Amino acid sequence: MFRRCCSAILLLLLLAVQGWTQSVTSLDIDRIKRASVFIYQAESVNNDLVITCVSSGTLISADGLIVTNAHSVLPSRQCAGDLLIVSLNVDLSEPPIPKYRAEVFSADEGLDIAILRIARELDGRLIARSELPILPFADIGNSDEVSLDDTLIVAGFPDFGNEAVATTRGTVTAYISEPIGPRPSWFKTRAEIPGAMSGGGAYNSAGLLIGIPTNAPLGGIAATASCRYFADTNRDGLVNASDSCVPTGDFVSTVRPISHARSLIRGARNGLTVNMVSAPAESPLPLNPPRVSRLLFAPSVSDGAPSTVVGSLPNNTKSLFFFFDYDNMTADTVYELRVSRDGIPDAAFSLPPVRWSGGENGLWYIGSREQTWANGAYEFTLLINGASVGSQRIVVGGSAVNKSQFSDIVFGTLDQSGALVGNGSILPLGEIASARFLYANMPLGSSWSAIWYFGGVEVARSANLWSDASHGAKVIRVAPNGGLLPGKYRLELYIEGALSATSDFIVSGRAAGPLPEIFTRLRHVTAVSPSAARRATALSSFPPSIPALYALFDWHLLAAGTPWTLRWLVDDQVFFETTNPWQTVESGADYTVSLANPADGSYKLQLLVNNLKLIEQEVIVGIGQLPIDRLARFEGTILSGKVIDAATGRGIPSVTIVLIGAEYTASEFEWREDQIYDLATTDRNGDFQFPRPLAYDTFYSVVIEADGFIPHAADEFSFSAAQPYADIEIAMVHG
Amino acid sequence: MEFETGRSPAVQITPRQRWSIAITYLLIVAGFALGVNQRESTLHLASDYSNLEAGISAKYPARWLLEESGSFIFRVRDMARRGFNTVIEVSAAPVGRDTSERNIFDQLTLQRSQVLIDYTVLGYDDYPLADDSLAVSMSYAFVSRDSSPFLEGVSSIVNGLDILTIRRGQALVVSFRADADIYQRELETLRWFVQNLEF
Repeated sequence: MFRRCCSAILLLLLLAVQGWTQSVTSLDIDRIKRASVFIYQAESVNNDLVITCVSSGTLISADGLIVTNAHSVLPSRQCAGDLLIVSLNVDLSEPPIPKYRAEVFSADEGLDIAILRIARELDGRLIARSELPILPFADIGNSDEVSLDDTLIVAGFPDFGNEAVATTRGTVTAYISEPIGPRPSWFKTRAEIPGAMSGGGAYNSAGLLIGIPTNAPLGGIAATASCRYFADTNRDGLVNASDSCVPTGDFVSTVRPISHARSLIRGARNGLTVNMVSAPAESPLPLNPPRVSRLLFAPSVSDGAPSTVVGSLPNNTKSLFFFFDYDNMTADTVYELRVSRDGIPDAAFSLPPVRWSGGENGLWYIGSREQTWANGAYEFTLLINGASVGSQRIVVGGSAVNKSQFSDIVFGTLDQSGALVGNGSILPLGEIASARFLYANMPLGSSWSAIWYFGGVEVARSANLWSDASHGAKVIRVAPNGGLLPGKYRLELYIEGALSATSDFIVSGRAAGPLPEIFTRLRHVTAVSPSAARRATALSSFPPSIPALYALFDWHLLAAGTPWTLRWLVDDQVFFETTNPWQTVESGADYTVSLANPADGSYKLQLLVNNLKLIEQEVIVGIGQLPIDRLARFEGTILSGKVIDAATGRGIPSVTIVLIGAEYTASEFEWREDQIYDLATTDRNGDFQFPRPLAYDTFYSVVIEADGFIPHAADEFSFSAAQPYADIEIAMVHG
Repeated sequence: MEFETGRSPAVQITPRQRWSIAITYLLIVAGFALGVNQRESTLHLASDYSNLEAGISAKYPARWLLEESGSFIFRVRDMARRGFNTVIEVSAAPVGRDTSERNIFDQLTLQRSQVLIDYTVLGYDDYPLADDSLAVSMSYAFVSRDSSPFLEGVSSIVNGLDILTIRRGQALVVSFRADADIYQRELETLRWFVQNLEF
């Protein structure tokens, strides 16, 4: 009898699986859709939940990590809610269903990326991580390998929760570079992506997540913004413009490459939370409105500055950067660049409204490399929060002209032999700063000048007639009254009154070789509190399961407002990086940062100024290596199906199906937990789905015992990599 | 007219028939006894559990799933039960000198109210153990729902009973949970389990 039951079930399994294999394709759109989630941000008003913002998102781990846009989930003026509700795709042909509440694990407002973690049931009950079912999730690809014209598949929800998850296809039409890392800051696409799909997933042709479609709706900021009214939030019986609206944007055409989210994702996957203990609790917001100035063009970027300033570029230009100074910007500032060629909007090089990622003030650029700029007269118009704040023109075309120019400024100090030494952009405190620059096509007797600034105020100026050769390199220097003070300096070089080159440098720290000594005594301790950490003994190796790892360091002559970077790596992979203006006194001791509940691993802390690594230290926790995450990749067959009553053909609810691991057969099963691979229970329709994917080419067995039915068992079935989904039907006989 | 009254003549049975009747009655009684015995052994067909480290041994119903990884010492579940799987869980927790049974029950209540739907304490009572000592018990109810977000899960009302005793500086809690519809019937299994529990 037992053998007959086994055979019957096995046959059903094989038949059902065969049907599924035929529908398998290399790009698994269903899997992409299953990993998509719809997110409501809501706030409680008079015991009612009012929806304040919506967005799409993507599950990136089996235990409920979600990547999405920060602007729609972090509380802000525009999105005032503090409750996040996650809707999942129960049926891919139906709109999503709210299932869970999520919390923001980490976020970068400027990059507009947030990592959420599903933390509670919809009714607010906590979910223990071990109790959360294994969720479908997207595998992350390498966005650095994306090329122009590559296929892009964008998944998300095209409407405010009224429609099923959708995908749209397009290609990568352009890259846009900004000063946030060496990688492209944005991919551009002409795919038609509705605004509500912002925050969803952009995939390559292999189905790997390579970006986040991103826009920044201007709802609540600009009068012309799109904002949808769909609830009677003021309880006046009408849904109209008196109610609160939910902002959305126009069609999305920009994708934030996933490489910008990698450190946030890595930190969240390993549960690593960094606390900048010594940083001020809140940075004061600028009092004045954002502004931009000194709009200029350059053919390339040199250490974050224009290599040289140009007013035109020749035929076949493949690299163009638009620079500007900015002030009073915040992370919720929305900026936009509109580019037109000969009066016609050029979508490829325009940047639609997105969040600002550059801090309060500095020098910024938006541009592209390795993409051909068609000949024509270009106009670049910059908008902030929907209003135009400046524009600049450049002509591309014609043959190259040998114009007089200065370029490639680097800073340093002169050694005994008169050679410029240093790192190019940070100088220690001293009396004299020197700059070397290249010059070309300089006629004798032409007028040129150099102007030095400190903190935006002119401190030195020289105007001369050119007396050197036409091509070469020249060194100039400045010796301000009172010497070089800590802070930010700028040099501008002019030819015949026109700006030809400009660059910035920082003065900080004490002279100590090629790099100034700004940070010292970097050390790691473990302690129960920050005050205890300052008294604790520094170690290089820590036992496992410590409650917190503290890093402390001293600093010297670092002016307020100087941008500095703290980067933390685990097993040589960055999991936390933040760049902020220095916000405390110029010199001091025991600046403290902490890492809560660090997992086993090798932790390396790096401190940087102007992208130059000044100091680092590595310590080991536990065995010095991160634990292996067996569910890091979603690989295997999803086994689902239905249990039916053989007599009636109807589904049987609440039946438990036991899936036995490869080491045992059904007859060897002794009802011990360690023999079980997974359990599933049928729902009210008799449907079931095993939460964990089944490993390919591995034998499993199934046992079902249900009151009122003859027990069933099926032995040794397996699935190949060509069978990502299997659907089985099991008929139970009364007995 | 005269009527004659009297008994009809008695039917005489042979000794052989008398023996047959006696044997039949005997067989009926024996069959009933055997049936009752079979029922008991089927009902309490047992598997053995022992944990030397925790100092616990027990018998639990055969073909119930034994689990030992979790926040408990061990747990057994009736996987054939449709709806909420009847479960018996044994756990231990250290207690301080001033810890009372009520402190432990309140702690359980606080934890469970965070994760169980509509968790409600129904009452407290005494519960006799195998050695004739008295433990204390807390009865409660909650709603159980299948956690898969992708299925139309069935909700069940579950009744539970915690039996708590403090011995040798630790609290031993036997937690029993069953679907409200069969809770009273399943209490017999709990009583049998507790009678066979040694710690």
